[in-house]
Amino acid sequence: MIDLIMRILVYGAVSGGIWALAASGFSLIFGIGRILNFAHGTFFVLSAYICFILAKDLGVNLFISYIIAILLVGALGVVVYKIMMAPVRHHEVMVIIVTLAFALLVEQILLLLFGEHGYSIPSFVSGSMEIGGVLIPKTRILAFFVSIAVIILLEYFINRTRTGKMISAVSQDSEAAMLVGMDVEKLFMITMFVSASLAGIGGLLFGQVFGASPIFAVKSLIYAFAIVILGGLGSVRGSIIASFIVGYIITTTIILLGSRWAEFVMLITIISILIFRPTGLFGVEE
Amino acid sequence: MVKDIRYLSLGILLIVSLTLPFFLPDAYVYLVGMTFLFIIMVVSWDIIVGYTGQVNLGHTVFVGIGAYTTALLQVPSRFEGTFLHFLSAIPSPPIYISIIMGGVVSAFFGFIIGVITLRLRGYYFALVTAVLPLVFIQLLYVWSDIFGGEEGFSVGLERALAVDSIGKYYIAFFTMVLSVLIMYLIVRSSIGYKFRAIRDDETLAESVGIDTVKYKVLSFVISSFFAGIAGACVVHYRITVGPSMFDIPLMLLIILSAVIGGLGTLFGPIIGGFVIYLMKNWWLKGMVGLSDVVPINDEVILYIILIVVAILAPEGIWVYSRKIIEKLPIKFLKKAKTT
Repeated sequence: MIDLIMRILVYGAVSGGIWALAASGFSLIFGIGRILNFAHGTFFVLSAYICFILAKDLGVNLFISYIIAILLVGALGVVVYKIMMAPVRHHEVMVIIVTLAFALLVEQILLLLFGEHGYSIPSFVSGSMEIGGVLIPKTRILAFFVSIAVIILLEYFINRTRTGKMISAVSQDSEAAMLVGMDVEKLFMITMFVSASLAGIGGLLFGQVFGASPIFAVKSLIYAFAIVILGGLGSVRGSIIASFIVGYIITTTIILLGSRWAEFVMLITIISILIFRPTGLFGVEE
Repeated sequence: MVKDIRYLSLGILLIVSLTLPFFLPDAYVYLVGMTFLFIIMVVSWDIIVGYTGQVNLGHTVFVGIGAYTTALLQVPSRFEGTFLHFLSAIPSPPIYISIIMGGVVSAFFGFIIGVITLRLRGYYFALVTAVLPLVFIQLLYVWSDIFGGEEGFSVGLERALAVDSIGKYYIAFFTMVLSVLIMYLIVRSSIGYKFRAIRDDETLAESVGIDTVKYKVLSFVISSFFAGIAGACVVHYRITVGPSMFDIPLMLLIILSAVIGGLGTLFGPIIGGFVIYLMKNWWLKGMVGLSDVVPINDEVILYIILIVVAILAPEGIWVYSRKIIEKLPIKFLKKAKTT
């Protein structure tokens, strides 16, 4: 019993950390541009595949592969924004349709190239260590600490740096930000880069712990939705806190009921939040 | 003039549709019949998305609910030995009643989801409906005793819409005409104007006294009802039911048809549905496995088309081409426009 609780505690924290990276990026771009980016999960999966190709097939140094994967995915985010989102940004139905179509397109191409089974990407660490009587794989511990570090960096970036403050300003009122002379379009692109790279880091951590498969381009979106709704749409800090709550819900569900119930429990979670507290924990009124 | 073209093309479509089975091979008659049922799905999606402006990404779930409702009503023995054993004693109704029941049950689920998500403004509806298809498919696998899992199950040859493809074709055709006509009358009524008012400016609609939540939910219920009817008809058309019929590729086809036809135009999606469904099942089939090097299949092509159309012509090809025609310096066209 103690064993089970410990496992839920540790595994939940790890998955919470990974989802915090994915969801905060999703929240960031929604907050600044009211853009619902359904292609967000694509960046999550793509970074894992890019890293896999670089490290396994091309024999690139592991650390460099990780960095290249993150940067490439961030750049892809900017390209996707420029080509697909910016032209239809005023048409919110189309933003959703285009980004969803892109996500499904990439999923389909990955399926054709790699098949539907998962690929585990190589990690810096191997083996496992004992915490409180439970054997924990070292990859999970690494994932946890990396995600915490990235979250702290993100908090620093948004609240302390000039660019971060400008992003917050645009989130609050983009027209006013434009009036005081901010280059809103450029800030959108920076945000998109950060958002996609965050998803990319999340994907790399996820890929080395659980393995990456194309289905996660869409599946990871569900977790991100649940998190941002619980945290409040557009609130980055809310998403981070909500990620750990959702991480524990997912882990408990998977350990006690089995992974096939994960999506169903997520839906129930989303619906109950919408019934009892639609603005989420830290939501801003639309 | 534009109106004339519309009626003319509809008239031609009607005559062609009615005479088609006389000179088309049986397999194609079957396919075109399926296309009619698909058109119901596209038009009903247009009601909630195109007319009311609420992005529904889970339309196929309501198609699926209608399908499984009628299938289980016809084959109640599926419940035997499960926790829903008591349901297996229900006598199965005639198929037309059970098709309508499919629509009603779909509408009921639409009502529940709608009441929870549509009372909130903004993006909650899109987010929740996006989650629905994955949950729905997952549940079909979890309770595979009842729903038949991946293979689904057959409702039996004697419960088909008609004995041969031509009979099925005409039943599908008239179901489509009836459904589209009802939806047309709804969007042309004062209810339809309220839907559009909500789509264009929700705050303004509310301030002129429209109960926006009520009409959004109503729109979603109507949309889900016809989705359910279409799904139920498909079951009796194909005699089988299974999850692959309601998966994400179908959602893509629905979205693509409506977007190409033009959201919120009703007639656009009919044409779009007709062209896209036939294209996917008739012409694109031959392109699968075209090349071993380039990762391409029919779905990839359709996704690319969708992205390109959505970016270049977000109002639909119909409106887009009309705009281009209006820009052309042709005298008689301009003249015709003013009259």
